[in-house]
Amino acid sequence: MPLTSRPLVAAAAIAALIAILLSLPERDALGRSLPVSFALGAGFGLVLQRSRFCFWCIARDWFADRDPRGLLGIIAALAVGAIGYAAVFGAWLPDPFAGRLPPDAHIGPVSLTLALGAFVFGIGMALSGSCISAHLYRLGEGAFGSVVALLGALAGFVLGFLSWNTLYLLDIHRARVIWLSAWLGHSGALAATLAVLGATALWLSRQPGAEAQDPPDPRPALARRWPAVVGGILVGWIAVLAYFRVGPLGVTAELGSVARTSAMAVGLLPTVLHGLDGFAGCATVVKETLLSRNGVFVIGMVLGSTVAATLAGDWKPAWPGLRAVPRLLLGGVLLGWGAMVALGCTVGVLLSGIMAGALSGWIFLLACLAGAWIGWRARNWATGG
Amino acid sequence: MASKIRLLVTAAGLAILGSVAAASEGPLVTTEWLQENLENPEIRLLEVSVNPGVYERGHIPGATNIVWHTDLVDPVRRDIASKDQLQSILRDAGVNADSTIILYGDTNNWFAAWGAWVLDVYGVENVKLLDGGRALWEAEGRQLSTSPLALAAGNIELGEADPALRAKLAEVVDAVESESHVIVDIRSPDEYSGKIIAPEGFKETAIRAGHVSGAVNVPWSQAVQEDGRFKSPEDLKALYAEAGVDGSKPVITYCRIGERSSHTWFALSKILGYDVKNYDGSWTEYGNAVGVPVTNLAGTIWTGR
Repeated sequence: MPLTSRPLVAAAAIAALIAILLSLPERDALGRSLPVSFALGAGFGLVLQRSRFCFWCIARDWFADRDPRGLLGIIAALAVGAIGYAAVFGAWLPDPFAGRLPPDAHIGPVSLTLALGAFVFGIGMALSGSCISAHLYRLGEGAFGSVVALLGALAGFVLGFLSWNTLYLLDIHRARVIWLSAWLGHSGALAATLAVLGATALWLSRQPGAEAQDPPDPRPALARRWPAVVGGILVGWIAVLAYFRVGPLGVTAELGSVARTSAMAVGLLPTVLHGLDGFAGCATVVKETLLSRNGVFVIGMVLGSTVAATLAGDWKPAWPGLRAVPRLLLGGVLLGWGAMVALGCTVGVLLSGIMAGALSGWIFLLACLAGAWIGWRARNWATGG
Repeated sequence: MASKIRLLVTAAGLAILGSVAAASEGPLVTTEWLQENLENPEIRLLEVSVNPGVYERGHIPGATNIVWHTDLVDPVRRDIASKDQLQSILRDAGVNADSTIILYGDTNNWFAAWGAWVLDVYGVENVKLLDGGRALWEAEGRQLSTSPLALAAGNIELGEADPALRAKLAEVVDAVESESHVIVDIRSPDEYSGKIIAPEGFKETAIRAGHVSGAVNVPWSQAVQEDGRFKSPEDLKALYAEAGVDGSKPVITYCRIGERSSHTWFALSKILGYDVKNYDGSWTEYGNAVGVPVTNLAGTIWTGR
């Protein structure tokens, strides 16, 4: 059995990866390395694709089968990331009580809007079949339905910007940015995070679905799925390397910037979005340069996933059926609106936030799971299941 | 043997003192000099970078992070940092009364120059800039560190703020009317002429365009070479003399918020030795002030857009 189903597609993706890597400018306007961001994106895409690190698939496995393996993968990512972030914080901000936050870390405002955004994002995941990061890696598998969902997300972002000022004046302005290390110290915050993750992992591994086994896979070892926990550990590593060298992991900043810049260009948005640029998170700045660190990260992700998918025989170009388009589009709009008002998604707020000891990350996790569950019930009901 | 060791120690001590002395001859230090003096206990290195995460992802070994937005300005009222605030920050950075302070930062050393100006206002001596700033240090491929510092608290005491180094609005208006000072506008020619009120992307702006009447325009960037280092004192002298700034009259520098004009203040005051005040209110104060003399060559009318 050949390792790759599409040697030409794989070769083209690898060639594109190398060509882009070599042609990128050394740094962005803030002095961050663009090639490093691109390479980390490629690694992230590869790991997500190989280990099926898709928040919706993981949630559905749990809702439907009580199979906790994917959730344990997320916990592994959070634990590795939290340890790495703590090591970096210890060097960058030895005194966490000084009233400062670590630079760039996604420690966002805790507000009702955050919970609402994450909840809507969860419904969007269920409806469109993926979160934003998984839609991006699916693109690398040839799932062109994800293009529809991502277009919907762009529109959702614009709706998010349109509702931002109202939400800001009603709610977000009074939100507090809560960083666990500022309360408990670096070691205290890490211990608390690991304790919650450990207790959850212990409980999950005792669930009946924990014994589930995949059917035997006759393909070569490299072509098989990586266990979710392995994927999680690698995601944690990539998150720490990214924070150390470039900035926290996130996949929506560039999408949001594209949406904001285009909508502003046609005069759709108010000229001032109150307080938005002052918050940490997947900041969606008006684009001034073509190449941003998040833009090259996302391009790297799609290409990395393409390489992984083609080499493993997962490259299956597929167009969505016409009947699926409204569902994908609406799901995408909900993803985009939720990610905009929550200042990020399952990657930027959930992963990068919890790793950094941000309460906002935990709120996103809970509200997003709740939204995904509602979405799952609704889909079951709609399909008569 | 013991005397030999003592001799060696003394020689090393003298070498250290000698190199600090060499540095204190001028207001600037070179990257080479700093490289050789990284271990020198007499110097205290302060990084003033305005972009977040720049210091943390790699700074010159031994440097302390000074955050412009909170450490060098008063976070509540628009003012320079208070004496107590600044003194405690410097002590935390291990600065002693006899330390030599070397400042450097990102964005062309602007904010580091602001730091040098504020330290001068409070009478701190032996303050120097790393010529070329962070950009040159990086361009030369020199080492960066991310290790945390553990410096023993210093004992520096700041004096009272010296009003002679800082121009307030009323003094600027007086200077315009009495022609007692040369006023140097270091912004871009388009801001000076009033074609634009502020460069694109800046939210703090003014509701009038133009410049302080009588001010001459020498954009800050004319004071530096391509690699970011200051031009030679001779070149600087000629550059400013051409605009009528020759040290015969006291000088006032200003820009938009006062940080780029600190850079020119440094060149005129520290390198050329002229009598210079920095007007930190700058155009964001002057261009919003009521009833002050403004010259608007381009005639741009503010329409609230």
